[in-house]
Amino acid sequence: MNDTAIAVDHLVKVYRRGTHEELRAVDDLSFTVKRGSIFGLLGPNGAGKTTTLRVLTTLARPSSGRATVLGHDVVTNPLDVRKHIGVVIQEQAAELLLTVRDNLLTFARFHGLAGPTVRRRAAEVIERFGLDSVAETKVQDLSGGARRRVQVAKMFMVDVPVIFLDEFSSGMDPILKRSVIEMLRDQATGGRTIVLTTQVLTEAEELCDDILIINKGRSIARGDLHHLKTLVDRLYDVTLSFEHVPEDLHASLVGFHPEEMTIGHGTVRLKLRDEESRVLELVSELARHGRLLRIEINGASLEDIFVELTQKSGGRS
Amino acid sequence: MSTGALEAVLFREAKIRATNWTFIFWDLLYPLGYLLVFGLGMNASLGFTSELNGLDYNAFFLAGVLGMASFGIASNTSWSFFLDRDNGIFYEMLTYPLSRSQYLVGKVLFNVGVALVQALLTVGLSGLLLGVQVRPSGLPLLVAATVIGTSAWFFFYAIFALRIRRNDTFNAVTSVFYFVFLFASSMFYPLEPLPSTFRFVASLNPITWHVDVLRYATIGVGDPRTIGIEAGGFVLFTLIAFWLAVQALERE
Repeated sequence: MNDTAIAVDHLVKVYRRGTHEELRAVDDLSFTVKRGSIFGLLGPNGAGKTTTLRVLTTLARPSSGRATVLGHDVVTNPLDVRKHIGVVIQEQAAELLLTVRDNLLTFARFHGLAGPTVRRRAAEVIERFGLDSVAETKVQDLSGGARRRVQVAKMFMVDVPVIFLDEFSSGMDPILKRSVIEMLRDQATGGRTIVLTTQVLTEAEELCDDILIINKGRSIARGDLHHLKTLVDRLYDVTLSFEHVPEDLHASLVGFHPEEMTIGHGTVRLKLRDEESRVLELVSELARHGRLLRIEINGASLEDIFVELTQKSGGRS
Repeated sequence: MSTGALEAVLFREAKIRATNWTFIFWDLLYPLGYLLVFGLGMNASLGFTSELNGLDYNAFFLAGVLGMASFGIASNTSWSFFLDRDNGIFYEMLTYPLSRSQYLVGKVLFNVGVALVQALLTVGLSGLLLGVQVRPSGLPLLVAATVIGTSAWFFFYAIFALRIRRNDTFNAVTSVFYFVFLFASSMFYPLEPLPSTFRFVASLNPITWHVDVLRYATIGVGDPRTIGIEAGGFVLFTLIAFWLAVQALERE
């Protein structure tokens, strides 16, 4: 069996505004996604993430290039693509005039599923998403966050092999978000391919096996988190907590030329771009100024990588 | 075409309509209210028969109520269409395993089903309560006119529901349609005594064509040749509306 779930080949999507102006939302983008992986598509606002997802989910036709989902071409064979995907679009989308339970059952019906097994599954999904108390409430009477929950919950009603999630966690509380992340991990372990976009980079850092960062419709970096960190080398986040912040601390720190520095409540946070030995030197230097309660040194976070790479590629779209 | 997808669209429409009593009121009871309140009142207070070949107003108005039902059901569905798009579910549905034409056909089939139930109720109650006799030989034409008429108005409304982006604009447009199409037609009154300009405008109105066919089917009023031309015109109107609705849907 082919290992590739999604293949995007020189994809271009141009939106025309009026007769002359045109916007290249996706510009010669190519990538593949492995089956059973959690793939993160990241980029600043307007980078082309949602447009790429719209093409892959057959909501928009590409201007040129090709995209396939499980071998089915999104242009020539859209119905076969749709049979294999579940999509949480960026906008809120739920059947407002139906109850939460009927939302789940109706969604399953569109995927050819009905009967007692589906009703049982709906009951399980309702419980897992904490929707028990509103199961018989019409969605129009729910809060925005609860509506989003219903939208994401639908994905767990069917066993389609590929799921697309466009900013899935917006409006979710941290506990539910944690639970959904765990569920998504289970799904990927079970062989489902998950493609997600998110602005919450810690979420991508936690979830994604494979990340593609795009800007202005073009690919700017690709790989797992470890690989991406090597693209932004010698960048360290250093956090030091003192029993009492020494008075002469600021003067000592300036000599190390930190890119960012915050001091407060006994804690110093620094972002340094330097050799590893210099960072360790800084820590020992500061330890001479007062009693240290905590030392934490991290390599670049996904957010650091994201900011640096998007700025290198010409800033925000 | 997969029946599973059509069945799912029908299931969804039925769930939405059956669990929201406002739809039941507007789809089924509102036109009956017109027949049993407005029609009865007009018949009792004016009782005019001079232009109606001796028919009472209840018999004349029956076709108007049937046409109004088709128009109203299509309008309600188009509103739900608009609501679907406004709420994002429309775009999510376009990622479900069904084609755009299945989506449109499913909606039409449901509309037609509701319209046929409504027509059965209207014809039955007008016979039972108002003594209006529908000619049995016209029933096949009545069914055809109800099916085609409801589809036509659904396609017509869908064009606007798919293109208009603002709720207030959409409401304004549907209100204008109600006023213009329903009143500038043969739905409520015979056209013969009216000023020539009004008659001319009404003769160009597809509601007039639709209602005239329904009137011929139910009580046999009308010149068969004129009715044939109006029926042909209405079928053409249906095809154009269908084509434009598909175009609008493909753009989404």
